[in-house]
Amino acid sequence: MLTQMHVRGLMFDPYTNAYIIILRDDSNTEMLPIWVGKPEASAISFAMEGVTTPRPMTHDLMKTVLDTADAKVISVVVTDLKENTYYARVHLLYEDSEYSIDARPSDAIALALRSKAPVFVNDDVIRKHSNEEMDRWLENLKPEDFGKSDA
Amino acid sequence: MERELVKLTVQGVMPDAVPNSDSQVVILQDESKAHTLPIWVGVAEGTAIRLAMEGVVPPRPLSHDLIRNLTEQLGLKISKVVVTDVKNNTYFASIHLNSKESELTVDSRPSDAIALALRTSSPIYVTQDVLDRLAPENVDPWLKMLGSKEFGGTA
Repeated sequence: MLTQMHVRGLMFDPYTNAYIIILRDDSNTEMLPIWVGKPEASAISFAMEGVTTPRPMTHDLMKTVLDTADAKVISVVVTDLKENTYYARVHLLYEDSEYSIDARPSDAIALALRSKAPVFVNDDVIRKHSNEEMDRWLENLKPEDFGKSDA
Repeated sequence: MERELVKLTVQGVMPDAVPNSDSQVVILQDESKAHTLPIWVGVAEGTAIRLAMEGVVPPRPLSHDLIRNLTEQLGLKISKVVVTDVKNNTYFASIHLNSKESELTVDSRPSDAIALALRTSSPIYVTQDVLDRLAPENVDPWLKMLGSKEFGGTA
């Protein structure tokens, strides 16, 4: 099952010196943070804010190549989460055939925003994400955390 | 009008001579080494070019790897990239692609065009016109650096 999600924001994580894209579903019940590098974060923020640069940036070029060839981005899907790495696929329509291409979620989302294509997340990823989050929380738990009245 | 094209190869990516600069410089030369073309690029683009020069295959596709994979899967072949113009110190480039029926041309920054050319083993050209307009005072400092220890590329 896939859930459609929207880019709700972009944050800077000072601890890892990386940027975090926040994806949320329509009902705001599911949330998925994805860590991305600085160039990818600026590619996403330009698209979110509708900023046009004097010269085409890398993801603008990606879109122009597809537009020029008459290939259409149908959707992008965040498909998997393995060892803290998210995987995505870009779905394209070209000459009446469908294509699916492996991508990092950051590139896929930067392209989706420019192509007005929907972003979906596989429900397994949302589940795995909450499990990994829970594991991290459990790992950080200290013995003195138990038995506190305000815990 | 068919413009005269000169084939270039990437000699290396160097840090900018200006301290704390956010730019890097891609050095291109023709076969006879008579012409040197320095092009200023951002750090992300410089890295994308250096990784391709060193043949590094990243665990996940980077942005230019994705463009290569997209074009390959759709059966579009990049035939060449051309540095076409320079206006107010900004270089312009075009990427030439062949589809089944036609040749397509896409406007690009030279950095993206070069990063893509290196990943697809496509030739890189510059118009004679751009070479003619290169001011020697901009090129000479880079020529001196080509043999120095700061030169990070492989010949």
